[in-house]
Amino acid sequence: MPPKGKQASSKLCFVTVGATASFNSLISATLHPQFLDALSKAGYTNLLLQYGKEGKPVFDKLASKLDGPSGHGIAIDGFDFNRDGLDQELKAAKGLPENAEGVVISHAGSGTILAVLRIDVPLIVVPNEELLDNHQEELAKVLEEQGYVIYGRLEDLPATIAKSEELRIRHKSWPPVNSGVHRQARGLAGVMDEEMGFLD
Amino acid sequence: MPPTPLALLASPTFLLTTAFSLLLALTLRLLAILPPRPRRPTPRRIGAPTRLLVVLGSGGHTAEMLSALHGLNTQKYTHRTYVVSSGDDFSARKAAEFERGLEASGGEPAGGTEKANTGAGAYDIAVVPRARRVHQSLLTTPWSAGRCLWACLGVLLSANGKGKSGDGVGRGYPDLILTNGPATAVVVVLAAYVLRFFDVRGANSSGVMRTIYMESWARVTTLSLSGKLLLWVLKADRVLVQWEQLKGMGGRAEFLGVLV
Repeated sequence: MPPKGKQASSKLCFVTVGATASFNSLISATLHPQFLDALSKAGYTNLLLQYGKEGKPVFDKLASKLDGPSGHGIAIDGFDFNRDGLDQELKAAKGLPENAEGVVISHAGSGTILAVLRIDVPLIVVPNEELLDNHQEELAKVLEEQGYVIYGRLEDLPATIAKSEELRIRHKSWPPVNSGVHRQARGLAGVMDEEMGFLD
Repeated sequence: MPPTPLALLASPTFLLTTAFSLLLALTLRLLAILPPRPRRPTPRRIGAPTRLLVVLGSGGHTAEMLSALHGLNTQKYTHRTYVVSSGDDFSARKAAEFERGLEASGGEPAGGTEKANTGAGAYDIAVVPRARRVHQSLLTTPWSAGRCLWACLGVLLSANGKGKSGDGVGRGYPDLILTNGPATAVVVVLAAYVLRFFDVRGANSSGVMRTIYMESWARVTTLSLSGKLLLWVLKADRVLVQWEQLKGMGGRAEFLGVLV
């Protein structure tokens, strides 16, 4: 959790690498001075990283470098993994109850993407190119095309912060309203009922 | 000298013929039950005891499944069994949390007065060994998959352990199996097929264990391996996809909008 007792207008950037694979390149990219500059320009006050089971050495090393007098005025925190899920952190990024809405930068896992879309915070999805499953990339791409997320690339993360401010303004909420015949009428519950023989 | 009867039994011709006949019989049997069962399930009244088996595949799979099940009607689905892989504490916790949610909401989306079919007796969490760990050698995979299959058979067979018992053939089997991958989900469906194949305790004749496979929301243009297997080989009764690009795969994948 970000330290409590900040001024009321704190703004959090929450970075999550997920539970299963390490994603150290995302940690380094978000602890890069240029990225912190971009955060600072966009009015951010806090940066919180969920760095994964193997991310601690990288996080500690880079975060200690940033501690110097050249500080960007951004408080940096990190933790490895939260067994109970990320609800608290996502709420903090949302700015609840009284802070400014921030941003979430996430690996491309569908569970995390879904959780962030539901809580409705601007989301930058950065597929982990070291994992050889391109379907995560596909999901990130199609969601960007439809205007729900920003597809982030490690090499230009600072620029995506500005893009996420645009996303905040455009704001398209999830879940999509599925066209007429879909969802409202059936969805999974409908198919389950059909297979069970429940005739409503 | 004519061969002795015993020698005849051991002759290659005889063995081949026997093997072939057996294979033919098995194949015919398999073909008889493998296609999606054409008949619609028999109508069922709400309130009858039912059993739903949900496979929680870990991580994003679990998150998607529980999200899609949001607001489950416990008047219709009176008992839930969640199958999780050993070591997957996340899924087990999420399942318990999901059930607490059902309990808190009174078990009915419409906010009915009955608080039935929720809480400790109304669900159980079954743990099975992993079919294959990440990075596990392919050599040892058959062994671990076999152990997983054995455990899944046990789950399906002993499903009548809790609460309701022995009122009729196949009573204990899940009425509906709901999966969204990965490996363990395929093994559970395979276990159901094995039981149906041999019609163990009326597994096939009583029409239980219909299966729904929901492809991951993360699959936009290609099916996952589990999806392919359950669409073409193990033939889940229904295959649902969540992106229009996958609609109609295998001639029957259904797109009903986003489900998660």
